[in-house]
Amino acid sequence: MKRIQSFLYSLLALGFFSASAFAQGRRISGQVTVEGTGVPLAAASVTVVGTNLGTYTDDQGRFSVTAPDNGPVTLRVRRIGYIQKTVPVAAGATESNIALARDVLQLETQVVTGTATTVSLANAANDITVISSEKLNRVPAQTIDYALQGKIPGALVTQNSGAPGGGVQVQLRGVSTINAAFQPIYVIDGVIVDNSSIANGLNAITAAAGGNFGSSQDVRVNRTADINPNDIESIQVLKGPSTSAIYGSRGTNGVIVITTKQGQAGRTSLDVTQRFGSAALSNKIGIRCFTSAQEVVDAGFDSTGYGAATNKCHDYQQELYGEHPFNYQTIASLRGATTGGTNFYLSGLVQHDGGLVRNDNYNKQSIRANLGHRFGGRLHLRGNSELIHSLTERGISGNDNTGINPYTLFSEQPSFLDLRRRADGTFPVGPVVANTSNPFQNAELIKTPEDVFRMLGSGSAVYDFVSTDRQTLNFSLSGGVDSYADHAKIISPATAYVEQVNANPGTIVVSDANILTATLNGVLRHQLTTNAFTATTSAGFGQVRRNVDILENTGRGVFPGVTNVASATQIFTTESQDIVKSFGLSLQEEFLTLGARMLLTAGVNSERNSNNGDPHKYYAYPKFSGSYRLPFLPPKTDELKLRLAYGRAGNPPTGGKYTFLTNLIEEGVTGFRASTAKGSPTLKPETTSETEGGFDWTLFTGRARFSATQFRKQTDNLLLSASIAPSTGFTSQTINGGQIVTHGTELELGMTPIQIGGFEWISNTTYSSNKGRVTRLPVPGFIPASGSFGSRFGNAFIQQGQLVTVLQAVNGCTALNAAGTACPSANRVFTFVGNSAPDYEMGFSNDLNFGSFHFSSLVDWRKGGLGVNLTNDYFVGAGTLADTARARKMLSDFAKGIDVWVENSGFVKIRELALGYDLPAGVATRLFQGHVQSARVELSGRNLKTWTKYTGLDPEVSNFGNQPLGRFQDVTPYPPSRLWYFTINTTF
Amino acid sequence: MKRYSTIALAVAAAATAACKDNAVVNPIDAPTVGALSGALTRVTLQQLATGALAQDRASANAFAYAIETGILARDVYRIDASEPRFVQETLGGNPDPGSFSGSGAWQGYYTAMRAENNLILALASASATQFTTAEVDATRGFIRTMKAIELWRVIEVHDTVGATIQTDDVNAVTPVRCKTAVLAYVAALLDSANTDLAAAGGSTVVPFKMPSGFTAFGRDYSTVSNLILFNRGWKGKVDYYRALDRTNPTPALFATAITELTTALGAGPGAVPSSQFNTGAYYVFVPGGSENTPNTISDSKIGLNPLVQDSVQAGDTRASKIVPRTALAGFGLSTAITYVFAVANTANQSHPLPILRDEELVLLRAQAEIEAGQFANAVLDVNSVRTSYGLTATAFATQAAGRTAVLYEKRYSLLFEGPQRFDDLREYKELNATFHRPETSTDPYNAALPLPRPELNARGVTTNPACTP
Repeated sequence: MKRIQSFLYSLLALGFFSASAFAQGRRISGQVTVEGTGVPLAAASVTVVGTNLGTYTDDQGRFSVTAPDNGPVTLRVRRIGYIQKTVPVAAGATESNIALARDVLQLETQVVTGTATTVSLANAANDITVISSEKLNRVPAQTIDYALQGKIPGALVTQNSGAPGGGVQVQLRGVSTINAAFQPIYVIDGVIVDNSSIANGLNAITAAAGGNFGSSQDVRVNRTADINPNDIESIQVLKGPSTSAIYGSRGTNGVIVITTKQGQAGRTSLDVTQRFGSAALSNKIGIRCFTSAQEVVDAGFDSTGYGAATNKCHDYQQELYGEHPFNYQTIASLRGATTGGTNFYLSGLVQHDGGLVRNDNYNKQSIRANLGHRFGGRLHLRGNSELIHSLTERGISGNDNTGINPYTLFSEQPSFLDLRRRADGTFPVGPVVANTSNPFQNAELIKTPEDVFRMLGSGSAVYDFVSTDRQTLNFSLSGGVDSYADHAKIISPATAYVEQVNANPGTIVVSDANILTATLNGVLRHQLTTNAFTATTSAGFGQVRRNVDILENTGRGVFPGVTNVASATQIFTTESQDIVKSFGLSLQEEFLTLGARMLLTAGVNSERNSNNGDPHKYYAYPKFSGSYRLPFLPPKTDELKLRLAYGRAGNPPTGGKYTFLTNLIEEGVTGFRASTAKGSPTLKPETTSETEGGFDWTLFTGRARFSATQFRKQTDNLLLSASIAPSTGFTSQTINGGQIVTHGTELELGMTPIQIGGFEWISNTTYSSNKGRVTRLPVPGFIPASGSFGSRFGNAFIQQGQLVTVLQAVNGCTALNAAGTACPSANRVFTFVGNSAPDYEMGFSNDLNFGSFHFSSLVDWRKGGLGVNLTNDYFVGAGTLADTARARKMLSDFAKGIDVWVENSGFVKIRELALGYDLPAGVATRLFQGHVQSARVELSGRNLKTWTKYTGLDPEVSNFGNQPLGRFQDVTPYPPSRLWYFTINTTF
Repeated sequence: MKRYSTIALAVAAAATAACKDNAVVNPIDAPTVGALSGALTRVTLQQLATGALAQDRASANAFAYAIETGILARDVYRIDASEPRFVQETLGGNPDPGSFSGSGAWQGYYTAMRAENNLILALASASATQFTTAEVDATRGFIRTMKAIELWRVIEVHDTVGATIQTDDVNAVTPVRCKTAVLAYVAALLDSANTDLAAAGGSTVVPFKMPSGFTAFGRDYSTVSNLILFNRGWKGKVDYYRALDRTNPTPALFATAITELTTALGAGPGAVPSSQFNTGAYYVFVPGGSENTPNTISDSKIGLNPLVQDSVQAGDTRASKIVPRTALAGFGLSTAITYVFAVANTANQSHPLPILRDEELVLLRAQAEIEAGQFANAVLDVNSVRTSYGLTATAFATQAAGRTAVLYEKRYSLLFEGPQRFDDLREYKELNATFHRPETSTDPYNAALPLPRPELNARGVTTNPACTP
């Protein structure tokens, strides 16, 4: 994207520098304003069509441009966010005032078509969702992924936990892999940004998966959480290979292309936003209330030794998760350009979000500097950098086998007990649970800090070799790095009751991840413009390198208060390293013809990847697309564009190429033998081909736009683990095979139903549905490695002919036992009970502007989809669910082989709600003593209300968030919260 | 011109970037089999030998080796209410190729064979400056012997189902060969190993440190002269069972077996002193720590068939191997016996497990002598064992009486040391209802484990394929 902008800048620059060549000429001046309101529009570009002459408007929207002679000319005026206009200026005229209409339907947006090429959305042959900065930041979000929820048709954005600081999974157009990467890649200003989810080591104390190190159940945070959403100018979502083919071997899951803000001509503006907010527990599980010791005894709990039981029903959830934290965000940015040709954007962010538990929080600070400069008429340089620090303390949640997680403990103890901290600072022991664990003590004593220091840097240079009306030739070289150190600690002191049952009480986990991603791209681009067509040819190379080094040290038997792992009695260490290199060459031709009505594109990206069996072999990822804006239109229609696109992209193997040597120890001597996992020297990437077709229909003079897209996506050469004949000495091998075919529909309706005077209503409705089916599978059906708790609860299952997101469970019994109370294990019936993915998802976004008042809302509706509510199992099994009749029935049904834990996890959520007010200029000036240009105050909220039949805390929460499949498991999660913010935004 | 030179420069820069990019990334987290190519050094040989021997120990230290064969021979039961397959799939039905009761004694041994094959291949490139030819021969002879033992252990429990003979081609799924062919291959492999050892010369010492189980139990097998005894002992055992094979006997091999066993024992009938009985090779276990390989026979759910206690003869000092235990309910067994005995020492997780010791060889020779009609020698060998445990000498002059006498001695001498009793009962055709009361109403008297499910899947079949002779 940076390259695209660079290109645009360079085109504009041609204007400035060529202008000096014309010593003579006529000056044309005027003012550019916003249509309807008459507000002056700064930083709009004004160019003389057919020449290289041009300029920008100043603060007052005024401009002055030199025309080559006294004849009639045409001015083209454009600005991001407004519909461009061409205005004829009569011969000899020297004044022209122009009003630009706001581009609420994004008709003018330029979207990417290649590593250095763009096309206007009006001509685009693909369905690319563009999210503006305004739309993204309408309501504050802890991390960028939350801000994407409900805004991208075709994207399933699922929050994995209610814990502060992120942990979100994004899937574009369904699941197209079982074992390889499944989330889109994120590209910021041309640099691939890592989105790993790194275990913080929580498993060492929860034993969710056993062992001493982190696991997939560590309630991980995906690292795009670090990005500061306020720096983003726009996000383009390339949803599938028909567009993401340009990202070749990494493109199967789509690409999220982010462009950060750049400095712009005109008055330097300082923008300061201060937000204050809070959060509140938004849902609770109905926990049984015991009112007497006898009732506790009757329920099967032994009341002896409860001692000081308070004979009161404690609302544990409120007592622990009842915090109303004080949250704040301070955001400042400085944006402008010098007369010397340097433009700059500087920004800073300080953010604090508390959790629902007193010690949980999320803190982020970032500073960014984006600079651009032009040397002479031909060379344009740009450098962007951001430094980010975040500190997250998420506490304990998720699956737990040690009795440490609050919800596990709430389920096991009758609410009769007062477990809160006593006046003297001590905590009562948990009398019911074997390890005497107390959730309030755990929350107080166990620390889970995760510090991330991240540096994003990118630079680009564009050189124009040829720049005439007829043709341009330029070369752009861009690259950058994303580097971060993720330093996580788990400190579980020996003073916690839960630690005291361990052989070596007191646990410390120190986990250090260092991840570097480096990107380098070079593109030579040629554009030939004739009366009949515009042909854009580009050829380039791209290189990506990724280094991963994750070191975990776990110490057991640590003296209380000590935070040094080296002091432990027993120390366990593990390290995992990975280096992946790829290199690709690309060639693309874009052909715009028939009066800019038809766009034809053909391109190929050919890439090699060091994880492929043959690291030297290039795999080709072609794409073809065409769009046509119909010349004969139905009534009321402004434009009707038909589009069809095809593209192929890859997903490289993540391992499996080598036969490693496994070390075995005999009497202290280390030995090695070939691993039982046989290497596959012929391993290929998974390839996904996508065909997408649809139309974009604009009508009622731009007041409505309807888009419909249908796609078919086919993934071949799935990376699968195949079992092989053990007589070879090996048991498994990664193979390529199998196929998933996904069909889907995406609809989007944007409207401005009302636009009268100062009142404006903008509405946007999205719909998406997709279903992926396993159409070929060369191995027997299997439960994917994503993780599950067995078929009696429900698990993902890969089976030819079934949906890839199918949920399999024991649900039925061929014959009950003699008493008719239980189903013997041999008689259980395994059933495909349904689809874990939603049937469809709809987003309803509405903006109402009435003079200085602004109201916006976003409602997210997910229809259907199954979840496995294992949290229920904890409470039902222990007899602590409030609805005792239902709990009894569930237990009895479960024994009979009925899967009572599978539930419909569809929901309707009010994602965003905001009410803003622009202070009158006079008030703003008085308040800020004349320094302020504009000021706005806003009250907003996120996840304010959920309607669902799901009986758990949140239908979105997932115990295995970072897995492509099996995300539907709900195991004692961190409860969800609703967030409120009060915002003051001022521009100086 | 300047313009074109700039283009050329840009293209050159791109090309340089392309060429500088080394496409290959060598794995950094663990070594690969690629590390085995190139000249073999002493350090690498030690690692490969330890890897192969540790895998061999792990394979034998599995449920299928002593526990499952003990159950099939009806001496040992594992009574566990939460795991009824120990009974249901051994005495109550057929082992399921997909579960642990039917998939054992296969993959672990073949993984060990792969390790041994890799080591033998690597020996071809042994550094001439680091090894003498004799050391290379000694190593090859030892590793070939171990490889023969792995395959023996596969076929001894897969019996008529057959086994495959692994080749150096890692991708080859070779045919399932019948027992006779497999045993012939094992015997030939032991002989070629013996040739290697002979070429190395008796005084040569293997160029790596052996585990203490091979050096500290009366005989140091790191010296080739002792390795030859180990090899011949195994050859004698294999030849005895080839001679006896109930489906395809080769009686001529009894004499061969007697000769080989005598070589291994270094003494004639009745002349092996009792002090030598425990001499042999063992698995030594290291519970805990990073090695963490406890002896799996140490299992609290194991109980002995009451008949083991009831049949022991008065005065037999081997009765000390049988100790009382807390009662185990007879889960899954229709006889509903309470199991109150266990094997002494099983609580000890580092209790060594014999691989092959001289007492077994003496009794094997007695068995061969009985089948060869050399009853006098057989009586001498049986009594040399019998009298050392406080019993009076016995006598027999028929094959049937001899078999009964030697079975008694083998049962108590080798109690819970491996599949020996299972092998003997099966080959004596005593693994049936004539000789044993059925333990469940559906007791099938399983004599062989099936091919494991992944092996069947890889061959595209659902049941054991017919073996290739």
